[in-house]
Amino acid sequence: MSISDDMKKITKSEKETFKLGQKLARRLAGGEVIALIGDLGAGKTIFIKGLAKGLGIKQMITSPSFVIMKVYKVKSREIKYLCHIDAYRLTNGQELIDIGINDWLGGKGIVTVIEWADRVKKILPKKRIKIKIDFGKKENERRIKIKHYDANLRI
Amino acid sequence: MLILGIETSCDETAAAVLEIIPTSSRTHDEIGGNSKLEILSNVVSSQIKIHQKYKGIVPEVAARAHFEKILPVLLASLATPARFAGASARRECSAKASLASPNETFARRRDSLDKDQGKTPAVKKMKEIDLIAVTYGPGLVTSLLVGLEAAKTLSYIFKKPLIPVNHLEGHIYANWLPSSSEFLKFQNKQIFPSVCLIVSGGHTELLLMKDYGRYQRLGGTRDDAAGECFDKVAKLLNLGYPGGPAIEDCASKFKIPSGSDPTGRRQNSKFKINLPRPMIWSHDFDFSFSGLKTAVLYKTRTSKINKGFVKALACETQESIVDVLITKTIKAVKRFNAKSVILSGGVAANQRLRDQMKKEAEKIGKIFLVPSKNFCTDNAAMIAMAGYFNYCLLNTKQKNKLLYNWQKIEVDSNVNLR
Repeated sequence: MSISDDMKKITKSEKETFKLGQKLARRLAGGEVIALIGDLGAGKTIFIKGLAKGLGIKQMITSPSFVIMKVYKVKSREIKYLCHIDAYRLTNGQELIDIGINDWLGGKGIVTVIEWADRVKKILPKKRIKIKIDFGKKENERRIKIKHYDANLRI
Repeated sequence: MLILGIETSCDETAAAVLEIIPTSSRTHDEIGGNSKLEILSNVVSSQIKIHQKYKGIVPEVAARAHFEKILPVLLASLATPARFAGASARRECSAKASLASPNETFARRRDSLDKDQGKTPAVKKMKEIDLIAVTYGPGLVTSLLVGLEAAKTLSYIFKKPLIPVNHLEGHIYANWLPSSSEFLKFQNKQIFPSVCLIVSGGHTELLLMKDYGRYQRLGGTRDDAAGECFDKVAKLLNLGYPGGPAIEDCASKFKIPSGSDPTGRRQNSKFKINLPRPMIWSHDFDFSFSGLKTAVLYKTRTSKINKGFVKALACETQESIVDVLITKTIKAVKRFNAKSVILSGGVAANQRLRDQMKKEAEKIGKIFLVPSKNFCTDNAAMIAMAGYFNYCLLNTKQKNKLLYNWQKIEVDSNVNLR
């Protein structure tokens, strides 16, 4: 598994999606913006739960659909916070700016992960990790495409 | 005592005035069910019409709508019946302490504002208010700010004590509102400890309420809230927003054949839809509704979708959510030997949940309490009510400090109830 900047992966269960998130976490150094795209039920939240576990967060990761943004503290040398944003109810990026997202996006030691990122892509930095989750042929199968701005990243 | 409540945590702009008169033997320092309670006004300006076209709440739209509506809503809440004027005689809360203004210019401007507008009826009534209660979280930051800033401004201009209220606590105290339930009939010792289930679009929390203001969190959702599940399933089935009433309505049109299978689960024979009951037998008090939404999605992909199927699926979704909520709540009641079950939050307006929870609670001999439907969804009367109980828990020194709260209260979108 060392496809570089445009990695495709098929997960066969929720558990595998979770583990992929966990693996990605180990490659993060803080300051990354992760843009997640996928339909209802694709497994975005599961992926982020894995990511959070990989970062060592013990707190429960719950859907931020209602409050739009939730911030979790991370106990590691490089990463201080995981900022979890859900753009499900948004129509454009300005709405996120109004909430004060610029204090978090790409900040030093902050990993920002955005669900439904396609709805707010205009305000996201170009240097971002794009993750697209599609449904596979079978019920629990998911096709996950990870596109990293840094071609050297290996998951 | 007159309390003004202000609530703008999500999509409702709301303001209410509550009057509480202690019966002769009691004062406000003693908390009890004996006080006489009256809702003088309860204004809720729901923005659902604005949000419907987006199939959800749009925060920026929400904040802007709050901003447009907060003043009309406040004015409407203060334009109450004539007996309001006489209430000042019963005032207990002292607002005598003079306000040390950090800036004299501001103080002068405030005084002139006082003079100019002193003639309008709303301002006159505002002067009679004894306490302002406002939601500070959890919720949407931009929405919360509108209500909180309005409350702070009123507190500053009219020199009124300001008390911050947790939105979730507001939902619980909706049960104390007069037209809500028979709460006032019960003595405290008959109620506490109580298991509280708060279910809404943003929350699914199970709490043990040991006494007024004393909570222990037992569990909550691990992913989506129950109301969120209703909303998202409704979107998958194209039933519209808000999802709760839409699914309830659709489900009610589905006739379940009489008789149930041995597991007690109601079968819908024609379509044979069986959705999972996520985490129903897990050993904790947590919930998970994200997988249920995915299960519904799979059903819509594998079956032919016609009206009957949608109705059956809506019905089964509601059954699944209600089953899980009730099983976990009753389990908590038994584990902690609680004396009552308190249901609240927007999803508590679901008739199936109300009926089943009442049945299950009364089966094991527990008191069941639920607010009337209009007090389940977000409103300001419940915020005023919670503000009153929190006020009663304070000592004199803490009460005096409330006058300066406008300087320091800040919104907290992720706050927990302790």
